[in-house]
Amino acid sequence: MTLFDIIFQGTSDALSAAKSVVEKAVADKGKEHKVAFPDTAYSLPVIYAATGKKISNLGELQEAIAIVESLLVKEQRLENGLNAGLGTALAAEIIEAAKYSVEEAPYVAPLAGHISDPIIRSLGVPLVTGDIPGVAVVLGECPDAETAAKVIKDYQSKGLLTFLVGKVIDQATEANVKMGLDLRVIPLGYDVTSVIHVVSVAVRAALIFGGLEPGNLDGLLKYTLERVPAFVNAFGPLSELVVSAGAGAIALGFPVITDQDVMEVPTRLITQKDYDKFVATSLEARNIKIKITEIPIPVSFAAAFEGERIRKGD
Amino acid sequence: MEKTLLSIEQMEEINSLLKQKAVEAGAETWQDRKEAQKVSCKFGEEGVCCRICSMGPCRITPKAPRGICGANADTIAARNFARMVAAGAAAHSDHARDIAHVLHMSSENGSYKVKDKDKLYKLAGEWGVSTEGKDLYDVAHEVAEVALMEFGKPFGTLRFLDRAVDGRKETWEKEKVAPRAIDREIATIMHSTHIGCTAEAESLVRMGIRTGLSDGWGGSMIGTELTDILFGTPTPTQTESNLGVLEEDMVNIVLHGHDPSLSEMIVLASEDAELVAYAKEKGAKGINLAGLCCTANEVTMRHGVKMAGNFLQQENAVLTGAVEAVIVDVQCIFPAMAALADCFHTKFITTSPKAKIPGATHIEFDEHHAFDSAKGIVKEAIDNYANRDRAKVYIPDSKQTAMAGYSIEAIIKQLDLVTNSHVDKTGTVKPLADCIVSGVLRGAVGIVGCNNPKVRPDYSHIEIIKNMIANDVIVVATGCAAQAAAKAGLLDKEARNLAGQGLRTVCELVDIPPVLHMGSCVDISRIILLVNAVAKHLNMDIPKLPVVGIAPEWMSEKAVAIGNYVIGSGIDTFLGVYPQVTGSAEMVDLLTNRVEDIVGAKFTVEMDPAKLSEQVLERIEAKRTALGI
Repeated sequence: MTLFDIIFQGTSDALSAAKSVVEKAVADKGKEHKVAFPDTAYSLPVIYAATGKKISNLGELQEAIAIVESLLVKEQRLENGLNAGLGTALAAEIIEAAKYSVEEAPYVAPLAGHISDPIIRSLGVPLVTGDIPGVAVVLGECPDAETAAKVIKDYQSKGLLTFLVGKVIDQATEANVKMGLDLRVIPLGYDVTSVIHVVSVAVRAALIFGGLEPGNLDGLLKYTLERVPAFVNAFGPLSELVVSAGAGAIALGFPVITDQDVMEVPTRLITQKDYDKFVATSLEARNIKIKITEIPIPVSFAAAFEGERIRKGD
Repeated sequence: MEKTLLSIEQMEEINSLLKQKAVEAGAETWQDRKEAQKVSCKFGEEGVCCRICSMGPCRITPKAPRGICGANADTIAARNFARMVAAGAAAHSDHARDIAHVLHMSSENGSYKVKDKDKLYKLAGEWGVSTEGKDLYDVAHEVAEVALMEFGKPFGTLRFLDRAVDGRKETWEKEKVAPRAIDREIATIMHSTHIGCTAEAESLVRMGIRTGLSDGWGGSMIGTELTDILFGTPTPTQTESNLGVLEEDMVNIVLHGHDPSLSEMIVLASEDAELVAYAKEKGAKGINLAGLCCTANEVTMRHGVKMAGNFLQQENAVLTGAVEAVIVDVQCIFPAMAALADCFHTKFITTSPKAKIPGATHIEFDEHHAFDSAKGIVKEAIDNYANRDRAKVYIPDSKQTAMAGYSIEAIIKQLDLVTNSHVDKTGTVKPLADCIVSGVLRGAVGIVGCNNPKVRPDYSHIEIIKNMIANDVIVVATGCAAQAAAKAGLLDKEARNLAGQGLRTVCELVDIPPVLHMGSCVDISRIILLVNAVAKHLNMDIPKLPVVGIAPEWMSEKAVAIGNYVIGSGIDTFLGVYPQVTGSAEMVDLLTNRVEDIVGAKFTVEMDPAKLSEQVLERIEAKRTALGI
């Protein structure tokens, strides 16, 4: 399969998943049932920023599926691949929104799920000052817990904000990686679609800090490319859906670094099999330069540990 | 912002104004001569007129299906075609031979020096010339000797064939088209096309491919390599193109022809302080050098010398009335230039004993005293400045900025910009291969060739290039095709805005224009080696790659030789002008069909640039589908 066909397949998968999830929600709750993420003024932020449309009930959510369909043009061209990736992102937001609409608490601690506006506002200053030099999205499954911990702790020690999606969350737990917003390691959820909650952060950064006009898709993509220093690490076997989501990341300007064999795209989609070099490869791909003064002490030292609480047991 | 291109209509408007100048001066141009030729002879057009012995001329008609010797249309068309290949290969080879001789006469304090030592040592290593403890120039002379042996060595096949990807080498071996010595292949064609020798069309087509390959992987490749060694490997450089590069108040010298051993010296001479002062003494602000045809390509690639235009623009340069001298050496020089120059103050100066033209001022270029010789020629031009008739001057206010200088080495250096130091090695074509495999770029095409009055000049070049880049196909160009692109503005980095999103993104990341000027016609060897490098990287034979060669407005026998080595190298070739073989169904079938079974690639002929573009894109997509990419 061509790279674009893999992406198109992933988008189709996301599309049909979104359709069935929303269909079921409508069947259970009716079209008028409320749809909203908690603590946000931006409705469904990705859809709102990309199209300017606010969605408030399941009927409107169902209509939004047409936007995803319109982004799926199966001609083999870069723009279609990137658009399909964006389509997957929108489909993911639709699925996640349906979760929040139907379930009382779709995510329970330590899983974060949707990130609220106040948290994004609190992240704004350190992002602008470079105190948070980058945003790492780590998803999938590392070969072992040790590798997962090494990569995540490395980002943590460099002050990056790291979001976890999928089995890597369990691996991090297993390896005793301490998580939480204060520690700049945030487990989002186990479903691939929960990755949208970090995209939502980037998108709201454009709306809040970039003063982006909702519906200005080109402006959004320019802002995220130039101003949001995020990248994706995709570990383990990649489903079509994950690749398609990766295309969405690339459309936003976020490179994807994976340990799997893929059709590489210079600076955008990179295979790195050496886990020891994963962090360095990622930082270079996103052009994140960190000035480090190494202090030879036996424990990790970084701003990310500022909010750490030492419990009795420790 | 969209790049503003110079449209074909604007170009034609300028041409018609210049044509008007010709009428006023009582001068004749190619348009007049094309007109005077009326409808061309059908037998010649179809390749079924034979005059290789004095029993003839014979021509093939339904009533006379055989010539006197019994040769039929297939034999005759095949022989004529093969001889075109031989002539083209001979032209490139003799060009290369001269460069090899110049390398052989290079010295520490002479006019000719070794400028790219690394490339020399690399080639010495490749050819088994020892370098240890040896003087640089001893190495240069030995390498030159090895190169010169390639033209007439009695045994074996050409050394550069070793550079080819395995699949190619095996194919050439199996199909017996691996070229031996360069001159030998040319002589063999002349032998086999003699009366009473080869009559089998397929056999002649195979010989044509072998001889073509002796050009592409022999003469031309040697020419390019040794020229880089002597004058430097091109690096990206900004230049300007079109007749607007001529200056109102400077001594305008136009260089036309092919051989850089002359043009490089003229470049040096035109920058010589003494001569510049002399020009000022004569009332000019300085010396302004501009190039035409492949000489322009050579000096623009290495020095950013401005390009006045391509093949069918050569007379226009004189018609501006602002050119003090047209200095020429060999190949593609209209003999009509002598009479045309007589209508103006322009001096038409021939310099090579290989290309004397009646009516021209002949100042033989002395390679042994190259710099002084060049100075003498430039001085002639300066002396002529006073004779310029200002009333006759019309310099079209039209020029475009362009980037040139994309040798393989330069392209790889640009590609290094998008490598990740923790994953990739630098100095490879991997980023290009990755872009093609992933589909960000759909493929790559080389657009080469001449101008031909049979088609609207430059129209096909420009239309096809625009179609390619809009469809995410990266274009490399050489020769007069590259010049057409330059005139239009397609060699400017801003032209990336005319490209599809895939190519545009690549151009932005790699910091290149969407059309890469890779040099002169012998520099098509660079294109072949670039494709070969991608094939090697992907570990597959060249015919599998989504790569195509296009000669939209080809004209010369050199173009025929080039076409033969391009398909011989496994690259499908699209022609915008019919070769003179259509009188033989067998030849048409061989070239556009059966030759694919031999070398894995074939010719396609289509005169409509829109249709041709469509077919090229289809071919590229078909190759991708076959590879599953």
